[in-house]
Amino acid sequence: MPSGRKGSVPRGANLLKAAQELGVELESICGGRQTCGKCQVIVEEGHFPKHGLTSRPDHLSAPTAREIEYSQENRLQGRRLACAAEVLGDVLISVPEESQARKQVIAKAASERTIEIEPAVRLVYVEMQPPDMSDARGDWERLQVALEEQWDLKGLSLDSSALTALQSNLRQGNFAVTAAVWQNREVLRLQPGYREGLYGLAVDIGSTTVVAHLCDLRTGAVLATEAAMNPQVRYGEDLMSRVSYANSEPQGLSRLNRGVIRTLNELAEKATAAAGLLPTDILDAVVVGNPVMHHIFLGLHPRELGGAPFTPAVSSALDLKASDLGLSFHPAARLHTLPLIAGHVGADNVAVLLAEAPDEQDEVMLIVDVGTNAEIVLGNRQRLLAASSPTGPAFEGAQITHGQRAAPGAIERVRIDPLSLEPRLKVIGYDEWIRPGASLPHEARATGICGSGIIEAVAELFLAGIILPDGLFNPAAAERSPRVRYQGRTGEYVLADESLTATGLPVVITQNDIRAIQLAKAALYAGSKLLMNHWGAQQVDRVILAGAFGSFISPYHAMVLGLIPDCDLNKVVAVGNAAGDGARFALLNRNLRQKAARLARWVEHVSTPLESSFQDEFVAALGLPHSRDPYPTLAPFLPQPSADGRTGRRNRIREKHQLV
Amino acid sequence: MSEEIDITQLETAEILELIADDLYDGLAPEVVNSVKELLKRNMTPYDVLTKGLVAGMDIVGVDFRDGILFVPEVLMAAKAMKAGMEILRPLLVETGAPQVGTLVIGTVKGDIHDIGKNLVGMMMEGAGFTVVNLGINVDADTFIKAIHEHKPDILGMSALLTTTMPYMGVVINTLKEQGLRDQLIVLVGGAPLNDAFAEEIGADAYCRDAAIAVETAKKLVAIKRSEPIG
Repeated sequence: MPSGRKGSVPRGANLLKAAQELGVELESICGGRQTCGKCQVIVEEGHFPKHGLTSRPDHLSAPTAREIEYSQENRLQGRRLACAAEVLGDVLISVPEESQARKQVIAKAASERTIEIEPAVRLVYVEMQPPDMSDARGDWERLQVALEEQWDLKGLSLDSSALTALQSNLRQGNFAVTAAVWQNREVLRLQPGYREGLYGLAVDIGSTTVVAHLCDLRTGAVLATEAAMNPQVRYGEDLMSRVSYANSEPQGLSRLNRGVIRTLNELAEKATAAAGLLPTDILDAVVVGNPVMHHIFLGLHPRELGGAPFTPAVSSALDLKASDLGLSFHPAARLHTLPLIAGHVGADNVAVLLAEAPDEQDEVMLIVDVGTNAEIVLGNRQRLLAASSPTGPAFEGAQITHGQRAAPGAIERVRIDPLSLEPRLKVIGYDEWIRPGASLPHEARATGICGSGIIEAVAELFLAGIILPDGLFNPAAAERSPRVRYQGRTGEYVLADESLTATGLPVVITQNDIRAIQLAKAALYAGSKLLMNHWGAQQVDRVILAGAFGSFISPYHAMVLGLIPDCDLNKVVAVGNAAGDGARFALLNRNLRQKAARLARWVEHVSTPLESSFQDEFVAALGLPHSRDPYPTLAPFLPQPSADGRTGRRNRIREKHQLV
Repeated sequence: MSEEIDITQLETAEILELIADDLYDGLAPEVVNSVKELLKRNMTPYDVLTKGLVAGMDIVGVDFRDGILFVPEVLMAAKAMKAGMEILRPLLVETGAPQVGTLVIGTVKGDIHDIGKNLVGMMMEGAGFTVVNLGINVDADTFIKAIHEHKPDILGMSALLTTTMPYMGVVINTLKEQGLRDQLIVLVGGAPLNDAFAEEIGADAYCRDAAIAVETAKKLVAIKRSEPIG
C-alpha cells in the first residue's frame, strides 16, 4: 500500500474495515454499503518479494451483485470497492488518490465580536492569618472564612484535587493564595500567592470537523484556534451511519466516544502549546454539537436519536467535570454543554442562536446550517422557529458522480460562459482560475468536485441554458457545444477534460448529479418555506449561511439554485463557524448559558416531515430556482423561459392533426 | 388544448397514443376525455386500462428511470392516470376484469420519510395495481393487520435511514412467524439500501427507484401467477 501499512487479518475480513484497522484512512461516505463508490482500491497483481507475498485479484472475494451494478453505472476500471470485498488471501492494495480520506480545508477564523466577559470561573486572591496553637480549625475551614470575609463567597465547596494540594499551596504562598472559583460555588484550584492566567476551551463537535478555541477567560481573547477532522468519520460519514455503527457493533459507542475525546485532548494540547500553556491550564470548557455528537461525546447511546420520535436522553444543559469524560484538562476543570432544542436540532444550533442573536432583531432572519442534516431557524424577537431538514450528503459530494469532500484537488468554484458554454474552474490548493487547455502543475489538477463546486456548477449550467428550469439537460445545448454530450438518452456536461484532472478521467456533471442536487436543495428550501408559512412570513429580511460549508457557498449561486428563498443579495451573509462562536460566547459569559437555556425552551421546534404540506412544498421546490415561488432579486440574471412555454412535450397526435 | 382536436374524429389507435402523450404531459382532463371516448366505442374497461393508461405510464416509467422525467412530472402523470382510473375502477369491478395485483406499502417504524414511498405507490397505481398506503412510522403489527385485511400480492417497505432499515428485517421475521411470508412478494427500497441488504433480511428484491419497483413488481407477480397452485 502507498501508506506502507501491512498486517494480517482473518480470512473473510471486510477490506474496508481491515484497512481502517491497519490505520489506512479510506474515504467512505455511505459507511460501507457499496453505494457511494468512494472506497475504490486497486489490487496489485504479482509476486512482491519486498513484501513477501503474492497478490492476486482472486485473493479478494468476487464482486457482489451490488458492486457489479455499481460498476455498470460508474467506471470502475478494474478497481474494487473495498467495502464490498472480503480478504481471502495475500493482497497488495494501492489506494488511489481520490479514495484517500484527507485532512480538510477548514474555515476557522474566530469572529471578533464584542461580548461582556463574565466567565463561570473567576480568580480571587485571599490572604489568611498563619495558624497557631490557639486555633484548632483546619486550613480549609479557615480559608472558607477568609473567602467569605474578603470576597463575600459563602458556603463554598472544595474540589478534591485542590484539597490534596491545599496545605502545601497555603504554606508555599505564605498563607496567600489565588483561588479559582466556579459559579461562586466551588473552589477548583488553589495556587500559591497572587496569580493571573485563567483559560478555557470552547469546542464545536461537528460531524466532520471538530473546532476548539482556546480563550483567555479574563480578557476574552482567542489565544489559539485548532481544528481537526472528526475521527468518527471513518465509521460513517453521516450521522445516521454512526448511530448504526453504535447500534450494531458491540464496542461501537465506546470507539466513537474515545475517538472524539482523544481528538479533544489533542486539540487542547495543540492550542495550549501554541499559546505557551499546558492542557492542565484549562479550567473551564463549553462543548456544543448536534444531538448525536452531543450524546456520543457524553458517552450516551445515540440509539433513540436514530429513529422517530428521536428522543434525546437529556436535552437540558449539563455541568460536568471534564475529567469524568476522560479529558486531560486541569483535574478539577468544569465542562458545560449547551442544551438541545429537539432530537434533531442540537446544542450547535443553540450556539448559533447565541452568536447571531435573531431573538434581538426586528428583521426576520433565516439561519441555515447546510450539512447532511440542514438545520434551519427562522424568526425575530417575537418568535423563533427551528427545524431540521434531511438534505442527504449530496452537498458534501456524496451521490455525485465525481463528488468528493472539500480537500485539495476538489473543484470548488465554477463559471460557465453562456455564449461559448466553456467553463472556468477553481481548484482547492491552487489560486488561479483554470481555463480549458491550460497546462497545469500537479496541484492544480482536479480530483473531483466538492459541495460548493457542485452548487455553482448546477447554477451556472442553468444560467447558461444548458439545463432547463426542470433540471433536464437541454438537447439544444448539445448542438452548441461538444461539452454537452449524451450517454444514451441522458445528457452530461464535461466540466474538466482529462488534461485538467489528476485522475486521467474527465470530471463530468451527469443528469443524475443534477437530480441529486435538486432533491437536496428542495428538501432544504421546503424546510425553510414551511417555517415561513408557520411564522406567517411572506419573505425573509436576512439570510445567514452558517457552518464551515456555508462560508464557501456563493450566495448568488445558492439563490439561483433555489437553495435559499428570495432576499436582497446584500443581506445574504456567510458567518463561518457560528456554532463555535456561540460556544465561545457561553464560555466567556455565564449569563449567556442561562440565555441559551431560555432560548432552547422558547424556540418552537417544527417537525417538517410531519407537515401535510411538506410533499407539496418539496415537489414545487425541485425546479430551478423554484417552480412556483418568485425570485424578483434574480429576475435580471435568469434565462428567459423558452418561447413555446414548454407546455407539453409529447404532442405527437395533436401536432399531427393540427398540421392536417 | 383539448379543444384543438376533436377526439371523436380520431382512430382508436390514435386515441391510445393520445392517452400516452397526455399522461406524459400530466393532462388529467384530457386523459379522462379519451378514456370516456374509448368506452363509448365499446372498448372493454380492461383494454382501456392496459392498452391506454398502463401502456402510457410505461413510457413515463422508462423516462423517469433514465432521468429524463423527474419527480414533479411523474407526480403529474400519476395524477392524470388516477383521474382516468377513477372512471375505470367501478367498471373493472362490474365486468370482473382480471386484477393486476394489490400492494400494501409503508415506511417502517422510526422513519418518517414519506415522499419516495408515495412516489412508488403512485407509479404502482399507474401500472394498474391497487395500492394501500399505510403512511410512515408503520410497525409490524400494522403491516400484518393490513395484510390480513387487503390480501395483497406485494408488501412494499421503505426506509431512508440506516438506523431504521433493520426494522424491515423485523417485519419479515414476523411475517415468517405468522406463516404469511410465502404468500407475499416483499419489495424494499430507500437510499441506504442495496441488494445485499435485501437478501440478508429475506426480502424478494431491492428496488432502487419507483420505475424499477414497478418493473420488479410486474415481473415477480407474473412469475408467481405462473407457478402451479399447491
